[in-house]
Amino acid sequence: MLEIEIDGAKVSADPGEMLIAVTDRAGIRVPRFCYHKHLSIAANCRMCLVDIEGSPKPKPACSTPIAEGMKIWTHNDKTKISQKAVMEFLLINHPLDCPICDQGGECELQDVAMDYGADISRFTEGKRIVEDKDIGALIQTDMTRCIHCTRCVRFGDEIAGVMEMGATGRGENLKIEPFLAYGIDSELSGNMIDICPVGALTSKPFRYELRSWQMQSVAGVSRHDLVGSNLLSQTYKGKVKRIVARENSDINETWIADRERFSYQGLSHENRLLMPQIKIEGKWQEVTWNVALDFALKGLNNAVLNNKQTDRLGALATNTATLEEFYLLQKILRGVGTQNIDYRLNIKDLDATINLPSNIKLTDLETLDYGLIIGANLRLEQPLINHRLRKAVLSGAMVDVVNVAEFDFNYQPNNHNIIAPNQIALLLAGVLKVVLESTQAEVLPDLQNLNPNATAKQLAARLLRADNAVIVLGEHLLNIPQVAIIAALITQIAQHTDSKTLNTSLSANSKAADLAGFTPGRDGLDANTMLTAQLKAYILLDIYPQYDFYNSPKAIEAFNNADTFIIALNSFKDEVVLEYADILLPIANFYESPGSHVNIEGLVQSFPAAVSAPGEAKPAWKVFKVLADLLQLPGFDYTANQQITSEATMHQNPKLSKVDVSKVDVSIDLTMKKGIDIIWQKSPYAIDVLLRHSPALQMTKIGQINTASMNAATAKKLKLTQTDDYLGVPVVLSETVADDCVFINANRQTWDRGQ
Amino acid sequence: MISEKSKQTIDKWIAKYPKGQQQSAVMEALKLSQIDNGGYLDKKCIEAVADYLDMSVISVAEVATFYENYNHKPVAKYTVRFCHNISCMLNGADNLIDYLEAKINAEKLGELVQVKKVECLGACVGAPMCQINDDYFENLNEQKINEIISGLK
Repeated sequence: MLEIEIDGAKVSADPGEMLIAVTDRAGIRVPRFCYHKHLSIAANCRMCLVDIEGSPKPKPACSTPIAEGMKIWTHNDKTKISQKAVMEFLLINHPLDCPICDQGGECELQDVAMDYGADISRFTEGKRIVEDKDIGALIQTDMTRCIHCTRCVRFGDEIAGVMEMGATGRGENLKIEPFLAYGIDSELSGNMIDICPVGALTSKPFRYELRSWQMQSVAGVSRHDLVGSNLLSQTYKGKVKRIVARENSDINETWIADRERFSYQGLSHENRLLMPQIKIEGKWQEVTWNVALDFALKGLNNAVLNNKQTDRLGALATNTATLEEFYLLQKILRGVGTQNIDYRLNIKDLDATINLPSNIKLTDLETLDYGLIIGANLRLEQPLINHRLRKAVLSGAMVDVVNVAEFDFNYQPNNHNIIAPNQIALLLAGVLKVVLESTQAEVLPDLQNLNPNATAKQLAARLLRADNAVIVLGEHLLNIPQVAIIAALITQIAQHTDSKTLNTSLSANSKAADLAGFTPGRDGLDANTMLTAQLKAYILLDIYPQYDFYNSPKAIEAFNNADTFIIALNSFKDEVVLEYADILLPIANFYESPGSHVNIEGLVQSFPAAVSAPGEAKPAWKVFKVLADLLQLPGFDYTANQQITSEATMHQNPKLSKVDVSKVDVSIDLTMKKGIDIIWQKSPYAIDVLLRHSPALQMTKIGQINTASMNAATAKKLKLTQTDDYLGVPVVLSETVADDCVFINANRQTWDRGQ
Repeated sequence: MISEKSKQTIDKWIAKYPKGQQQSAVMEALKLSQIDNGGYLDKKCIEAVADYLDMSVISVAEVATFYENYNHKPVAKYTVRFCHNISCMLNGADNLIDYLEAKINAEKLGELVQVKKVECLGACVGAPMCQINDDYFENLNEQKINEIISGLK
């Protein structure tokens, strides 16, 4: 600890800290443009000049490390004169037309100019003009306003991991721009809007919509992934107009992914469901909520309740529902006496489902020294988890990858092991054998005859050597036959190497569903068995079967069964749903309902509603409460969402999976059957209904991903060429895909899984 | 856009720097790529250099646009770099540059020769001077310029 003096007051600070960090902590305002606490120090705007005793000239606070006994003045004449001079230089080329600038009112330059700028410009010469570029659907440029702070350049290089913006030219001709016709394509690109201190980079969908002071900011939490990024939803007259990041150093620091930032656009899509509707003799009629709920009650009574067939009622929900919605819906089902409850719609074999825990904190990912990623394209699936891992790699950690195809990483993994899906279990068994042998543990009899290959030996050695290792299991392997074995092997490897595990295979708000007990109990049917059990009634929460199910045709067929009564709660209109539903209840989506997200650490983050749902749509938790009252179920006298939250987090949830992973038989068939595995991954901007309705995101490069990639050998086996479609997705031949594997990354789920 | 021969030279430069610091060879790589491409850098050259040195394309573009001697448009066969700094200026460089430019215009030699005013080329002893491609020409006057230009093909 050192002691320094700022403006006459004693302040203590750590050695090596920069002055600006100390003044920030002490609440002393030092103006700055280029400095950002999560980016490297550039010291090129010179706005943070402060007077330091003994220094003939003022020095930039952002790049001056503190020293014992330093005396600093941040507001004396010398400081002010220098800062005003810098301000005058910065304003030479900057247009003085704040009223027509989109950033006006929330502009760092405008704010600082109020304090340090002159009233009248002395600059009478012509200002330079920089042509704008179209850099994509998300970011609007107005480069004449750029003051060359290079925050966006450093953000690309240091945080997004792809340097997309750069400073070309020199002196008067310096320009901040991407290369020629390149756009900005990173999955975190929207953060450049937040960090740009002027109006050079602004949100394209939000352009010229409103002034920042017209909007109200409501704290929110995102449900698109397992992180639960904190954000602010900014609203005006009952509409979400913009989303910006909210700082939380334990969760998302100051960043959010583009998915979080721009998905709000979907809320005002014309396809929103606005009125309750009931189907009478095949015709849809718009009705009031009372009529609709009576109809629902009558339907449920007729179908299952009156004739005591409650075991033929089922409930399925989307994985973006809130904790409270999951909890109430399962409570209703359990209340009427059935356990047919599930949210895991996208899994082929739920008996073999992955019950691998996540037992590492997001912040601890940064201090890892080894990571093994299995079956994941983390950058697109969990952008901010990937960001933490990337930070670990930058500070020296090693990351190995076992994937079915080569993906674009924004850091350099040590080894990119591209392995056929049907060989991954074998590889991990090899790793486990080496680990067991080197820790002198008993080698399981099934592994005796196994000959670990070089890759297995290498991975095992690295896991054993590492002090802080994590094994990440992603979503790619969810539907291959060996998934349970893989999960079991990972569990055992982690146990014997003292590694942590991170399971990102079920995303969005899945952790909340688990916490709320939204899974079939011992006697309940799971999502797949429900579809074949010819149930008499379903309650479906925001489900769009053509996108959500592993076997979409089968789901649609089951729902279309003539004597099945279906209560569909949806936030968007959908042709397929109209076809099978008997009653359609409009519900709230993101930001329209209070609720909670449970992130990968198990952290429950609650958020209020920012706006009310459009039309007659209601938050689903309220609908469930009224439905429960109509069903005369006890224990539903909630008056506020928080009561449900605390009950949901307190209650003992039933056993999640029928499979105890530690007891899974890890017998490995050495002559493993060679079939072609289809690894299906939805495009990151199509994972839920809100994203699918967000136009700007769909126009980005990531939003347009639509390929079935395979290598030439696999294509030959399937008799396909580059000009063909495979299951409705254009074929791309690539040698970066493993043998016996078709990697489908598509926006729209158009294919028939009846292979 | 980088010839095999240039790649070998770039590799020699890469070897001079610590492992993983191959981007330090970017200026040499750009220079060679420019020569291979007939005197100027286009999009493909910059992408090729970025690819070869494992850099982001925009970082290479930053370097390529910073320095004067990287050209971004097709160039004439001969580039006359005429010094106009103090020694040459005192010896009449400015008049000679005007003369040379007028001559090129009059004789329509624009596609063969182009003139660039540059800073000191370190040959003040022979001022006024210019550099035509890789050669220096010193103690210039109008007559000498006529001879040199008529000798260019």
